[in-house]
Amino acid sequence: MKYCSLTAAALGLGPAFVPKIAHAMETKPRTPVIWVHGLECTCCSESFIRSAHPLAKDVVLSMISLDYDDTLMAAAGHQAEAAMMDTIERYKGNYILAVEGNPPLAEDGMFCISGGKPFVEKLKTAAEHAKAVISWGACASYGCVQAAKPNPTQATPVHKVITDKPIIKVPGCPPIAEVMTGVITYMLTFDRLPELDRQGRPAMFYSQRIHDKCYRRPHFDAGQFVEEWDDDGARKGYCLYKMGCKGPTTYNACSTVRWNEGASFPIQSGHGCIGCSEDGFWDQGSFYDRVTDLTQFGVEANADQVGLAAAGVVGGGIAAHAAISALKQAQKKTQTKVSENEEA
Amino acid sequence: MTAHRLLVGPFNRIEGDLEVRLEIEDGRVAAAYANSPLFRGFEAMMAGRDPRDALTVTPRICGICSISQSAAAALALADAAGARMPPMGARVAAILHGVENLADHVTHFTLFFMLDFARPAYTGRPWHARAVERFTAAQGSGLRAMVEARAALMHITGTLGGKWLHTLAIQPAGVTRAPDARDRVRMTSTLRAFRRHLERETFGAPLEEFAALETLYALDAWETGDVGLFLTIARDLGLAAAGVGPRRYLSWGAHPGAEGRATRAGLWQAGSVTPADADAVREDLAHSWMMGEAAHPLDGVTVPDEEMRDSAYSWCKASRLAGAPAETGALARQAVDGHPLAQALATEGGVRARVAARLLEIARTQIWLEAQVAGVDPSHSLMGDWTLPDAATGVGLT
Repeated sequence: MKYCSLTAAALGLGPAFVPKIAHAMETKPRTPVIWVHGLECTCCSESFIRSAHPLAKDVVLSMISLDYDDTLMAAAGHQAEAAMMDTIERYKGNYILAVEGNPPLAEDGMFCISGGKPFVEKLKTAAEHAKAVISWGACASYGCVQAAKPNPTQATPVHKVITDKPIIKVPGCPPIAEVMTGVITYMLTFDRLPELDRQGRPAMFYSQRIHDKCYRRPHFDAGQFVEEWDDDGARKGYCLYKMGCKGPTTYNACSTVRWNEGASFPIQSGHGCIGCSEDGFWDQGSFYDRVTDLTQFGVEANADQVGLAAAGVVGGGIAAHAAISALKQAQKKTQTKVSENEEA
Repeated sequence: MTAHRLLVGPFNRIEGDLEVRLEIEDGRVAAAYANSPLFRGFEAMMAGRDPRDALTVTPRICGICSISQSAAAALALADAAGARMPPMGARVAAILHGVENLADHVTHFTLFFMLDFARPAYTGRPWHARAVERFTAAQGSGLRAMVEARAALMHITGTLGGKWLHTLAIQPAGVTRAPDARDRVRMTSTLRAFRRHLERETFGAPLEEFAALETLYALDAWETGDVGLFLTIARDLGLAAAGVGPRRYLSWGAHPGAEGRATRAGLWQAGSVTPADADAVREDLAHSWMMGEAAHPLDGVTVPDEEMRDSAYSWCKASRLAGAPAETGALARQAVDGHPLAQALATEGGVRARVAARLLEIARTQIWLEAQVAGVDPSHSLMGDWTLPDAATGVGLT
């Protein structure tokens, strides 16, 4: 039951759901999953197999049946392709398609070839009879590094190619392991998709801003910043905003769930967040440029002004918090609108 | 005479995708074409960006060896800017790099290599039942133990790098994370636990005993752990003679750290090591769907041939050193470093040699990491000053 409790906690469900998750894991027939790889670096798979709560192996063994995976399966070549077609035939309409990476559309898709054919064809074949599609990582969700300007291969996120299936985006480069297994656990337990935010991400993991849950946030509010690497402020764990941290514009669970079985997360390692769970994070200027205008995110000043008026900010903290939340909601809607416009 | 063509792909258990085309005549392979069916265009994405963003872009080349890519980017920037890591910063960077290397080797051995011998194709072999028990996909006892031990080992990259994969902590002039005394204790106990895993599951004996092997005869006599099982399989299936490479081995030296690199750099040929010259590297395009001529990476261009001409078969460029191919990896690093067993294996040069050298590197890297962590001193500087010049050229080799 231990990891059921942790799963429930990770999913934000509370203790009442523990028996339900345990029951589902023990009794439900395993859900077949087809896991395909397009243009990517395999970091999503690497992250997934290190999940601690629940353990990836328990997810694989007890909850899903990973019938086809380019990276982890024993068969290769012809046999592998046959296994995929067999899974599609046997479980029509009942399997989950997990996509790692994305299809490049330039050159008739030939920048990513699988079994002699463009990957985009394999993706469409696998998606046709899928119950739902999981877009693992920034690649499948948004395009990620290969879609960074000038996007030489016309790398395209999954939802722009597969338009007639429910798609759950699980962005991040890679996504946090426990977020990946948490999403699958939820889908199996409740036999439905998790609640998604307006960008199609599971709200349970992507509704909170890194900045709002960051353990260094008090230093931001107090105007205490790292000014250069390994300075006194860095040693004291001051805020990394001036070093280009994208925590103020990034929604993910890093500052709460953390990485490598809760060991740490990038900001804790002394480096700013690069915003890897946000759409288009590659092309927002340098990763070491400051987020220049925080006003739209509800903090009424940039870091320099915060530093000058530190005492005032502390005094007005409670009032400011309410304003932040309201503005955050508004901002989220604006963000969503922008991305929808881009898609159109 | 019968001739036909066999396409082996997707070739799984590898990052970056691999497809192999075999031309078969009279039941024998007449020609083999290993090709990369994947092109992303990293060179084009890098152009016009802040050079420091290379630290974020290049690790995404590969999600298995991302710290190697990150270290190479940091070294190239440091070379361009004339920056140097303070010794403690270099030590922490080397620990990050070494842990990834160790984790990748155990993954490769267990999940990507031994897995194959559990397949029904080998039913009836005397070792098959043991291979099934240890390495069946998602169920084998050895496989499950490895996945857990490896995740625990990665706490070190989590602690020092914030996250793994695509760690951001390694910078041209040092690392962003200053480990404190508590971190050192945690890393020490994490390494101790991983040593227990290796000695119980993988080697079945103290690591020092394996690292001290000097001859192929002594290697053959090793019976314990998964290593013993592997050697039994290798003998039965003739893996020593399979897949022999050019027997020309190149290493730039593993894990640049506080006291230089963990292993020596050089080119090993017929038992002697000569200095490796990075200026002699060329990227050959004869069979690559790329435009332009063979060139040094500093001078070359990356423009895909949209016609996908018939005389080529891969999106990859082919690296050549002084006009000839050279093998890299654990076997190359250990042979160039002068380890006696590795030199004997380098002469053997086949599948068994590569896997055995990887196992040797596992043992030696674990021992080396323990010493590196013991030398972590939180009071020292982790990062030096550096500024990016307006125009510069730099090389980073890992």
